[in-house]
Amino acid sequence: MTAPPALPAKWHPLVRGFLDTPGAAQRAVHRFGSPVHLLFPQVFADNLHRLQRVLDAQVRRYRICYAHKANRSRALLRTGEYAGIAVDAASPQELAAAVGAGFTADRIEVTGPKGESFLRQLVGTGVTINVDNLWELDRIADLARGHTRVPVLLRVSGFPAAGVSRFGVPLAEVDAALAVLAEQRPWLAFRGFSFHLDSGELGERVAAVQECLALVERACARDLSPSVLDIGGGFRQVFTADADRFDGYVAALRESLRGRGEPMAWGGNTFGFHLDDTGVRGTPVFHKYANTVPATGMLADLLAAPLDAHGGRTVAQVVAENLLDVWLEPGKALVDHAGITVARVEFVKRAADGSVLVHVDLSRDTVTPADQEVMVDPVVLPGPSGAGSGGAPVGVFFAGRLCLERDLITNHKVWLPGCPRSGDLVVFPNTAAYHMDLSAASASMHPLPPKLAVLHRDGGYRVCRDIEYDPVAAVAESDRAVPGAGGRL
Amino acid sequence: MRYDHITDLIGNTPLLRLDPAVHGLPRVQLYAKLEFFNPFGSVKDRVAWGMLRDDLAGIVAGGRTLIEASSGNTAKALRILGALHGVGLRAVTNRIKVTEVRELLQLFGTEIEELPGLSECPDPTTPNDVYSVIEATMARSPGTYQHLSQYTNEKNIEAHYHGTGREIHEDLARDGIGGVDYLIGGLGTTGSTRGTATYLRKHNPELRTIAVVSERSDFVPGIRSETELWDVGLFRPDFYDRIVPVTAARAVDATVELATGHGVLAGPTSGAAYAAAREVLAAETAGDGPPVVAVFIVCDRLEPYLSYLRKRRPDLFGRTAARVPAPTAAELAAVPVLSPAQLADLDATARPTIVDTRGAMAYRIGHVPGAVNIRDDQLDDMFAQGIPFSRSRPLVFVCPVGDASTRFAALARRAGFDAMGLAGGVVAWRDAGRPLESAPAADLRG
Repeated sequence: MTAPPALPAKWHPLVRGFLDTPGAAQRAVHRFGSPVHLLFPQVFADNLHRLQRVLDAQVRRYRICYAHKANRSRALLRTGEYAGIAVDAASPQELAAAVGAGFTADRIEVTGPKGESFLRQLVGTGVTINVDNLWELDRIADLARGHTRVPVLLRVSGFPAAGVSRFGVPLAEVDAALAVLAEQRPWLAFRGFSFHLDSGELGERVAAVQECLALVERACARDLSPSVLDIGGGFRQVFTADADRFDGYVAALRESLRGRGEPMAWGGNTFGFHLDDTGVRGTPVFHKYANTVPATGMLADLLAAPLDAHGGRTVAQVVAENLLDVWLEPGKALVDHAGITVARVEFVKRAADGSVLVHVDLSRDTVTPADQEVMVDPVVLPGPSGAGSGGAPVGVFFAGRLCLERDLITNHKVWLPGCPRSGDLVVFPNTAAYHMDLSAASASMHPLPPKLAVLHRDGGYRVCRDIEYDPVAAVAESDRAVPGAGGRL
Repeated sequence: MRYDHITDLIGNTPLLRLDPAVHGLPRVQLYAKLEFFNPFGSVKDRVAWGMLRDDLAGIVAGGRTLIEASSGNTAKALRILGALHGVGLRAVTNRIKVTEVRELLQLFGTEIEELPGLSECPDPTTPNDVYSVIEATMARSPGTYQHLSQYTNEKNIEAHYHGTGREIHEDLARDGIGGVDYLIGGLGTTGSTRGTATYLRKHNPELRTIAVVSERSDFVPGIRSETELWDVGLFRPDFYDRIVPVTAARAVDATVELATGHGVLAGPTSGAAYAAAREVLAAETAGDGPPVVAVFIVCDRLEPYLSYLRKRRPDLFGRTAARVPAPTAAELAAVPVLSPAQLADLDATARPTIVDTRGAMAYRIGHVPGAVNIRDDQLDDMFAQGIPFSRSRPLVFVCPVGDASTRFAALARRAGFDAMGLAGGVVAWRDAGRPLESAPAADLRG
């Protein structure tokens, strides 16, 4: 008999080690309750080092701004602060958290659309404002006039052949923005151009870099002196441990949508596929879970990409010789594999169509970003009654705790080695990037799950409240980054 | 030979027997079906003409425009065939990854709609796959477009059944070869392998059909990875005896071998097919046994893929001109370097030649006043021929931070020049508060 379709998760060795430590997850749940989010700051630091290695190899001067929006965790924020990087805050609350975690104004960049009150709060603090639109630019100049000079980046969008974006200044309006920057020079300190793409397509990023370089030249013609090129975030994660098995699962799912083989979708879910007389086609909403190219590979490829408008010189070369610092805003790439979510099985039941529903004490929005289907298999750990959920593999859907028909944590069937029992723990892998916080609501007055930080030290694991995690105590002095080393800004 | 219309030249392409001493498969008679002999240069000429021929009069009469999911050979053939009759083409594609292919389509006046890359956070209510976009475009303007649909149109298969497959069979039959044992071809729409193999199976039911696909998340122009094939309406996985993935790197190597070993100047898809043919046949015809007849399809010519090949294997495009040996550590250490103030003094007294080694944009934005701009890679080329500067003046190289300038100064000193570098490069010059001269992009229009 062939193995049932599966979506095996990639695990960071540190996280794998925690789950393999008998009783470790169970003790955390016993102490802090279920459900719970667990963060692994050392994985964050590991991801950071990998990105820094790529940048060190190609770029003279750069700045990494951790996109705090990926996760509310203070432990991860503190880890970034301690490592000496900068932060990208997208709300007054994130800004307050960053300041509270020790980031000074010169290491804070504020992104996203900002309203009147947030702008008032920002002007005069010295943080860099990544400007979304002309209204914002005018308001900042008005608010600063006569008493302060505000460092600003200009986010631009609407690159040729890219999807339309609701963020940024359209290319056609950049001249108007440069006019404001030149006229209001005493109050606006123009640092450079910024973009962020919704797509992971390399060609689109290269085209955006090339457009921004042309804008740099236009800015210089107005005697502005941009020194920063901010290439945004959007560097992908790798969720799957086995791309072939992932593809095999999707193939089986597509067959099942055509009515062949065992049903694999809850209700009428088609996951963004289109069904017609020619078959099942289109791109599923979960396509990013199939990715096998790590963030480091994407970044290295971008920096090494040749630019047609510059005689084939690479992005890294042109940036360096124009004395531009590269800024980037990785969020998910830094928190990739740095978090898991643990819930408890309440009960297992059968639906009228015969589907097996494993109910957990968690809702879909707490492990699923923007309602996307998460295509990576959770792992079941035995509960207090011990191992024993043996038997044959069983295909189940995980159901949430809300009284809402759509509160299914998986709308696709997950095969488990045996049927879970009440009290077993379900571990959802790699949930640190947006899965925990982006959509989580406190419907039915359920509180949001607490966050814990897990520290691997001396061969064991220590768990504390996320808010109490201290990287200074956690990291041996010898591991500490040397300030001023390399080109890190 | 005389023809009355270019479409008369579609099909009847040559079948070339490849030298076993070169392909190294002693038991195999390996033939290449040279589809680049079609008039517009590819196997797709058959498909485009096969899909269009019967409907052409109606399309012309209705004043309709062709719309097709293609970023390559099918679009090119459809565009030319349509242009001959005043019919336009709108090609809807994911990003065209080969520069020359895009430029050819532009040259012929193709409307190209390139879809933006997939969102990392997609919304199922706004699909941006090619087929949905074509359907929506057609629904918005009823009667405007004709969609021949190469990925689902059975005429795609028929063109190869009645053409490619029949021709191979008849050419071999004339030589007394009754049946083909292996057919190897790349999978794009799957039309060529399905049509050709179906015909050949009539004469040898034991034919083994080997499909060539690109490795997952790798890119070989014209063929798809196996998962990408799930979106191809004509794709029947069970039709093939084997589906062989080939990496872009292997495809490129085999492309070069085809050209230099057999004189077949074919594109990378054909290279992939050649690589797969050798891999499969080497394994399946090892040891003694009866002779085996195998045919693989050569889809198109090499030339439009130079940029693709250069990107994958820049080493194959290395400059052949003799490079000057790199400076030694001692030579580098002996280079005098100037501070910004010393360079300014020198400039005031000795008329130095100042060479800025950065790219054009950096030079335009700001350079040491009086410097000329010769990019580092151009300097390397020039130095291989001799150093094009006056010996009667001091020579100062300027780069971003002072490393490249030291290297060039060392090479120039080796040739007897009074050469120096600016310590710390343009950065140091700027940070010392020295003026930078700018050179706005020239507008040479009249």
